[in-house]
Amino acid sequence: MNQKLLEVKNIYKSFGKIQALNNVDFYLYKGKIHGLLGENGAGKSSLMNILSGIYQPESGSIHIDGKRVKKLNPDIAARFGIGMVHQEFRLINNFSIKDNLTLSKSNIYTDNFQEAFEKYSDIFTLSRDSSTPIKELSIGEKQKIEIMKLIFNNNKIMLLDEPTSVLTPQETNQLKLSLQKLSNEDNKAIVLITHKLKEIQEFTQSIFVLKDGVMVAKNLNTQNVTKNDLITLMMGEIKESKISKNNRKGRNKLEVESIFFENIHSNVPTLKNISLKIKAGEILGIAGVSGNGQVELANIISGIERNYKGKVIVNGKNISNQGVRARKNLNLSYIPENRLGVGLAPGVSIIDNSAIKDYFKSRLGPHLSSNKMLDYLNLLIKQFSIKAPDPKADVSTLSGGNMQKLLMGRELISNPEVIIAAQPTRGLDINAVEALQKLIIKQRDSGSAIMLISEDLDELFKLSDRIIVLYEGQIVKEFNIDEADIENVGLAMAGSNE
Amino acid sequence: MNNYLLSKKIVINDFSTFYSFLIGLSIGITIGSIILLVQGQNPIEVFSLMLRLSIGSINSISSSLNKAIPLILAGLGISIINSVKLWNIGAEGQIFMGGIVLNFIYISYEISNPNLSIIVLLLSAFIGGAICILLPALAKVIFGVNEIITTLLFNYIIIGFTVYLVNGPWKDPNSLNFPAATYVGKEVYLPVVFGKLSYGFIICLLCTVGVHYLKEKSVFGYELRISGGSALTAIYAGINAKQKTFIAMLIGGGLAGLAGGIELLSQTHRVSTGLSQGFGYTAIIVAAITGMRPLGIFLVGSLFGALTIGGTVIQTMGVSSYIADVIQATTLFGALISQFFFTYKIKRVIENV
Repeated sequence: MNQKLLEVKNIYKSFGKIQALNNVDFYLYKGKIHGLLGENGAGKSSLMNILSGIYQPESGSIHIDGKRVKKLNPDIAARFGIGMVHQEFRLINNFSIKDNLTLSKSNIYTDNFQEAFEKYSDIFTLSRDSSTPIKELSIGEKQKIEIMKLIFNNNKIMLLDEPTSVLTPQETNQLKLSLQKLSNEDNKAIVLITHKLKEIQEFTQSIFVLKDGVMVAKNLNTQNVTKNDLITLMMGEIKESKISKNNRKGRNKLEVESIFFENIHSNVPTLKNISLKIKAGEILGIAGVSGNGQVELANIISGIERNYKGKVIVNGKNISNQGVRARKNLNLSYIPENRLGVGLAPGVSIIDNSAIKDYFKSRLGPHLSSNKMLDYLNLLIKQFSIKAPDPKADVSTLSGGNMQKLLMGRELISNPEVIIAAQPTRGLDINAVEALQKLIIKQRDSGSAIMLISEDLDELFKLSDRIIVLYEGQIVKEFNIDEADIENVGLAMAGSNE
Repeated sequence: MNNYLLSKKIVINDFSTFYSFLIGLSIGITIGSIILLVQGQNPIEVFSLMLRLSIGSINSISSSLNKAIPLILAGLGISIINSVKLWNIGAEGQIFMGGIVLNFIYISYEISNPNLSIIVLLLSAFIGGAICILLPALAKVIFGVNEIITTLLFNYIIIGFTVYLVNGPWKDPNSLNFPAATYVGKEVYLPVVFGKLSYGFIICLLCTVGVHYLKEKSVFGYELRISGGSALTAIYAGINAKQKTFIAMLIGGGLAGLAGGIELLSQTHRVSTGLSQGFGYTAIIVAAITGMRPLGIFLVGSLFGALTIGGTVIQTMGVSSYIADVIQATTLFGALISQFFFTYKIKRVIENV
């Protein structure tokens, strides 16, 4: 076996109370494509940021070419030839391709630029003149320039963070061929970070799997593992659900009929023919990797997004053409995924934030009664045991759990008919998660129709009565909870349709 | 390696703005004193003269308060626009535009009842200020153009327009070639309450209470706060943030225009380039020092009015009137810095790798 080009051992990294990386080992070989697999929040990006010198680990050692490196910062990492392509492109839009490629001081093709550019244009099947400004390129072409930038900067180790998330299937296939050429002909060590199983199986020779900050599998030979193995590794075993599913369901409270939605900025269809029904006292789980249309669907049902085709019906009443305010009046609650920034306004006081859903109930003509608002906040604080220091304090000073309790309390206190809850427990500690899940169940039992959007399969299995899987804006699978298993849901989330 | 981490204090003292104003003011007075000492003046003598001549008698108090009116009104306008976290740098131009539209209505229409005439003229001044901010407001809500740049640039346009009017179509033939419009008739002069204090001050008081109510106690103010906190939250809450922002900007511009109208009817009595002496800019200082609180703007505006009067009269001692400007500016500087320490705490973090 050839020598390890880069090796990190026993890496620990935490952010506040969250242990992002827990005793992680990772290593790379020349001329190989490695896959790093893991769910969102498993620690993939933290590990890559350590390799490229952006984060400093709390402990652990880093070896490059067998020699120990004391400290890695972006400068030193670049000197050792470690380069990364981030999910958000870091190109200068007004500069030409050539300027972007030769911008860095470590670039090696200054004199023979044209020759090198032609060679790699060929490998990447890029047919552009090097004087073209970046802003004229398509997303796929920009991606190619980002990867070429690593080559021009003489990077031997190339870290690619979710490179295919912005590409079409054809472009993805093209990228695969280009990367294979780079690893074979130029002997580059490539790391592909992804949560798409299909790609990891097609692209790589060796697979590492991260789960909750722990490296659960190292250097697996891609040919010897199956999709199901990988899913089990990535998602873990599902804990036995402790919540009774003997809830009585009533009539349909929320009906969505053949929704089509196209993002006006990209003209890419983000939702295709979505129809679903949720009964009173029922929780419908929406599974899917983020970015597959969940946010758009929630925005359409809550009335924020008005530019769509299809019908939204609450309690038999067609509300497709009504705005946010009218839907709130029908007692529809939306707990958005982005709690600070959408659900709560940062820089604004706790008391102001607590009234966002019902403030017009504290009004008397143009007058807003601050006493009523304060009573309302105190009721929320009491009923949902929120720890809030001072009603006038900025809402951003609350802890994540208390923020979410304030947001959910505000949305649930009116005993809503329909609840859309997106990622209600993400990023919270275990106690807050328990408390918030209990609230959802309580609301189910008092007869709300609940749509639960979550990436956390544990949570979906624990709370839902049915699960729908969204993939690329379509409902690809629907399961009753007693017939759903994690493997099938996981496969459907990864876009596998057998 | 030592790093310093800034974090926002959870509970900020209610009086912190007031304390930081006092700290800022003492910094301002100290720096002013040093400059006076360097110039060979006795600061105590100069300051006591300033005090005596600005608040020592009914007449001087009323002069000081008259000077405060445009500062307070324009400051209130800045404050209401800042509810959505936007900055109106164009109060100076809006003051002029208030005066211009007032004069236009005055020369175009004749109203026999002088009281009614005054009310109509002041309303037209308000509308003038609103017209002046109309384009920046539209550009903001439709295209998201930075309002700081547009409102600032409008100052130059409006002041240029004023220069054109007072040298051209509106030029008073009896002004001995001084570029100014014809005086308005005595019947529309604002009456005085006492001393020299004009009724503008009563309007100013009412506006202070009104803006305070609008910002702190009304549904409109609430919706502005949410919109200013996060545009996405406003959409989520079903608030039409663009419409509210637009209305707030028009009201803010209108208040500055009203300041121009009052200044014209009570002090200058005609349109000229001297209608505003930088009131629109000083109002930014006043609003910023008080953390945009209407009641604070009223108090600090009054104090700054007195400082300006004091600065003018000490010229007779051979001291430059700019000493008042120095004190105003350093007070803002000191107040903003101390406000920072009231808002944030600084923690030293020791990082070990």
